Amino acid sequence: MSAPEVFPLSVGPITGHAFNADRSQVCVSLNSSDAQVMAYDGTGWKTTETLSEHDKLITSIDWAPNSNRIVTCSQDRNAYVWTQVPDPQTGELTWKPTLVLLRINRAATFVRWSPNEDKFAVASGARAIAICSFDEENNWWVSRLLKKPIRSTVLSIDWHPNNVLLAAGSADQKARVFSAFIKDVDKRPGPTVWGDKLPFNTICGEWSSPNGGWVHSVAFSPSGDAMAFVSHDSSISIIYPGGPGVITVKTTILPYVTLTWTSESSIVTAGHDCQPHVFQGSENGWAMVGSLDSSKGTHRHTGQRNQIEAFNRFRQADSRGSQGEEDTELLPTVHQNTITSVRAFDGSPDRVTRVSTSGVDGRLVLWDANAVGQPVGLAGKMAGLRM
Amino acid sequence: MDTAFRKINIDKYDEDILLPAELYDPDPRTPAQVLADARQKSAAVRACLTRGDIAGALAVALDQYPYGEGVDEAKALTLSTVLLILNSTKTADIGPLVRTLTQDQQDTLMKYLYKGMALQATGDQADVTGSVMLGWHGGLTDVAGVGCIGRVMTDRRTV
Repeated sequence: MSAPEVFPLSVGPITGHAFNADRSQVCVSLNSSDAQVMAYDGTGWKTTETLSEHDKLITSIDWAPNSNRIVTCSQDRNAYVWTQVPDPQTGELTWKPTLVLLRINRAATFVRWSPNEDKFAVASGARAIAICSFDEENNWWVSRLLKKPIRSTVLSIDWHPNNVLLAAGSADQKARVFSAFIKDVDKRPGPTVWGDKLPFNTICGEWSSPNGGWVHSVAFSPSGDAMAFVSHDSSISIIYPGGPGVITVKTTILPYVTLTWTSESSIVTAGHDCQPHVFQGSENGWAMVGSLDSSKGTHRHTGQRNQIEAFNRFRQADSRGSQGEEDTELLPTVHQNTITSVRAFDGSPDRVTRVSTSGVDGRLVLWDANAVGQPVGLAGKMAGLRM
Repeated sequence: MDTAFRKINIDKYDEDILLPAELYDPDPRTPAQVLADARQKSAAVRACLTRGDIAGALAVALDQYPYGEGVDEAKALTLSTVLLILNSTKTADIGPLVRTLTQDQQDTLMKYLYKGMALQATGDQADVTGSVMLGWHGGLTDVAGVGCIGRVMTDRRTV
């Protein structure tokens, strides 16, 4: 059980992170219109190159491991594919952008390469998902839009291992599975549990969040036979289309905003509770088993601050007319604010050994995915968890 | 300068406008059925309360609650039924009672607590007492956590 490795990259939020294939470099956006490529120098991550082309906030980044290409998307409604080419003068490798015509009229919110890296999908606020593929003839990226029946901003997407199906979670409180089949790129896929015939924009399924929360994050299981999503009503739902349907676990804590599968029977989730939680289960049911954050101490979250402390604070404010000393105490968790992204770092898709998280506190943290301990500040609350 | 254009309801001209009612699954029952159910449950709750079975009364009142549009009378009736139960419970009993509820019932109870507190603030509902509401709210939060409060805020099936 190794301790988490913590890398403070910035004072402000990290809006997205993506590692390269051998995990020696990471591409992050520090809440700005630039993305930084950073390399590990033995002590910390140092910026080696800045990718500036967007003119509004970058919302998401993905790095294709095999073809070594970066894709970024932004609130300026554009996406760029970055490739490493030698500089004509010095011969040094530099990242060069290619603009992708997304044909959306609202901000792009989320981007992911498909498993074969011949397509990528961009979610957006225009009630659409742009599926982009490379047109060899014209030497540019073209996009086709998945529109129906999306009713609001798409917040996250995830590709099925077969390179055709796409899961999407959206602010209209639904998680959906679409076909993103492109004739010129894809071979006809074999039948899956999600359906047999899969022309472009086929809707293979639509599920509501249990209590009407935005669906923040979606992910297919390593085999692609199950899909999980987390929503703003503090719940996680796992869908088995070939089996029992939907399994929902409602939690007693603040909502999760991101998740990743670490094996066919375990999921790591993270979000407003500032620590990565581990869920385990199967078609027979799922439950939270603990946290990767083994920090000790009492939980001092606003929502769980004890009542006497709050009472004393107000009494002090009342009797002395003072606000008391500034509350500068740190959270007992490793992350000091909401975790916005959790991704697999090490291991194969069906046996992830380490995960990486980044969040609003500007920290990048690497966790041992198997070091499951008691959740911070939640001791005793676990009894209240039900399936 | 002419500012009348600011009052134009532009949503009327938006073909794919998203209406609030599209964001939740409608109640399969008709409004008349909902009202009949609410009346029947109100009577059942009173019967439970005379027997002293508060847990049973809560379970009856919180299942299949009225939500959505066009069922205001049923909503008002169910709210006063729930308030009747809340007001006739001793503070010490709240914790154990809340634990007997299912998670869905806990979420629903939290909705009625917030509804009650909202009405108390405006003074529209005479049978709401702040201390009773806060007592229940504290007891319920201890068991169901802040997740339960979040679910009240996200859920469009308002009571």
